[in-house]
Amino acid sequence: MISRGLRTLFEKEVLRFMRVAGQTLLSPLITTALYFIVFGYSIGGRLHDIQGVPYSRFLVPGLITLGVISNAFLNTASSLFMMKMQGTLIDLLVTPLSYAEVLAGFLGAAVVRALLVGALTWLVAAIFTGFAVAHPLLLLLDLLLISIAFGAMGLCVAIWADKFEQVNFVPTFVITPLTFLGGVFTSVSMLPTALRRLTLANPIFYLVDSVRFAMLGIADSRPEIGLLLLGVLCAASLALALQLLRSGYKLRG
Amino acid sequence: MEAVLTIRGLTKRYGSTVALDHVDLDVQRGEIFALLGPNGAGKTTLINIVAGLTRPTSGSARVLGHDVIDDYRFTRRAVGLVPQEINFDPFFTVSEALRFQAGYFGVRLTEDRLAEILQALDLWTKRDAGSRTLSGGMKRRLLIGKALVHAPQVLFLDEPTAGVDVEMRQSLWRYVRTLQARGTSIVLTTHYLEEAEELAERIAIVDHGKLLLTERKEDLLRRYSEKTLTISLTARLVTLPESLRTIGAQLAANGLSLSITAPPGEDLGRALAAVAAAGVAVRDVETHRARLEDIFVSLLHQGAAA
Ligand SMILES: Nc1ncnc2c1ncn2[C@@H]1O[C@H](COP(=O)(O)OP(=O)(O)OP(=O)(O)O)[C@@H](O)[C@H]1O
Ligand SMILES: [Mg+2]
Repeated sequence: MISRGLRTLFEKEVLRFMRVAGQTLLSPLITTALYFIVFGYSIGGRLHDIQGVPYSRFLVPGLITLGVISNAFLNTASSLFMMKMQGTLIDLLVTPLSYAEVLAGFLGAAVVRALLVGALTWLVAAIFTGFAVAHPLLLLLDLLLISIAFGAMGLCVAIWADKFEQVNFVPTFVITPLTFLGGVFTSVSMLPTALRRLTLANPIFYLVDSVRFAMLGIADSRPEIGLLLLGVLCAASLALALQLLRSGYKLRG
Repeated sequence: MEAVLTIRGLTKRYGSTVALDHVDLDVQRGEIFALLGPNGAGKTTLINIVAGLTRPTSGSARVLGHDVIDDYRFTRRAVGLVPQEINFDPFFTVSEALRFQAGYFGVRLTEDRLAEILQALDLWTKRDAGSRTLSGGMKRRLLIGKALVHAPQVLFLDEPTAGVDVEMRQSLWRYVRTLQARGTSIVLTTHYLEEAEELAERIAIVDHGKLLLTERKEDLLRRYSEKTLTISLTARLVTLPESLRTIGAQLAANGLSLSITAPPGEDLGRALAAVAAAGVAVRDVETHRARLEDIFVSLLHQGAAA
């Protein structure tokens, strides 16, 4: 059963990002739309089809994954970190909300924002490349698990961080490079051997690949690997977030 | 009487700093209890442990018989905290902040209850204002509102009136008494000793993490308070009459006034009679009664000397 406390936290978190929708929804949408227009629509026309799919269409799942990952991460990370800095975190810490409820409230809102960004990105792209989706349920499951995993990671980073710089550390130095090198723009078959090895060692590649399989029905690896990996990522990041909340690490002096 | 708060051997260390040192304390149902002490004494640490914001190094705190760690969901429902530091969420209005806070406690804030809290805190006209746009004192009143939304049985006010104007302070005092009349137990810290003198029934003084004393306010005032009689004279007095010297009168260096201090618990009647009997020419009379502030300062000095 969903308690009133959990529902309140969820609503408050959703309202928070909706109040600044220009920054939290529109701006990521514009970024991904630009990638799509530049790489997919302008340059893509000169590239070969990949496994029978035009490049502009091939690009869409990776861009959606990129948007979902970064928005899920940023929503929990910036919200919790701001609460920590403003001192409003106290309001939450004195309540009877259980650790699991706190986690669920933050994650619920992160999932909503990430899926909204994902859906809007897809809508914009679909106008140009078509609305067909190969495996819609798998797609939903993939994106849901991705938002949960990265939302939980965002929460962990915000708990740990003492400065805003540290919150940005993970997206800048980990998530963005791994995503860009994770097959968002390319199929592994297009890559030179060294880069291909690197890509195959990159966990985000399997997430992008799984999403691509769900959307387009084509994959570089086996789509189950991505799903399995997502399960592991979710379990690990949820466990860590819950453990951090329970231990009071950096939250309760 | 029933204790709503039971603290035993409560100790908190931050590295080499001992913020709380084996504190034992009971707060009874329905009382207003003031926790006094200089900056860094450990007042906030104690309150925060009970509210769940800080973890004790050792010892225990129980609210209505429930341990604040093992049974946190129970104790946090029973406790309301007005934190010392002002905080506000710039994303939300005053009403939203109160509604959300109630929601976290599983409480739906009815319109009536919202109006009551807003009016008691004189925030009614600001109900739809963004929290950022409130003045400092209003922000503190909003903190008080947030601590009240779930109708806590034990309310902790950590310097509730810092930065609050005189009129509002008095109206807050009235509201605190209303809450008490409804059965809320209140623990407050303050550096305005007249606030403690005005409100509290019992007073504890902490210093360097140690509880120096816990006493009923009247007992404390009576036990430590000395009354002093100061007499201005119409003519310079060169020597003090023997009858006045024996009761401890002191003549001012200029010979134009003398003062007599009655020991704690004793009235000034004897001193006045002695003055009249001695036949000195009196121009004016002034009495001074030690206030909590004087007692506080002298107790802390004793504590430091010990
Ligand atoms: N998070 C912390 N880390 C390290 N030391 C701390 C921390 N919080 C409090 N202290 C120390 O614990 C001691 C007690 O602090 P506390 O805030 O309880 O004092 P206080 O009585 O509330 O003082 P004030 O009247 O200034 O509010 C102080 O020496 C303080 O420096
Ligand atoms: Mg304090």
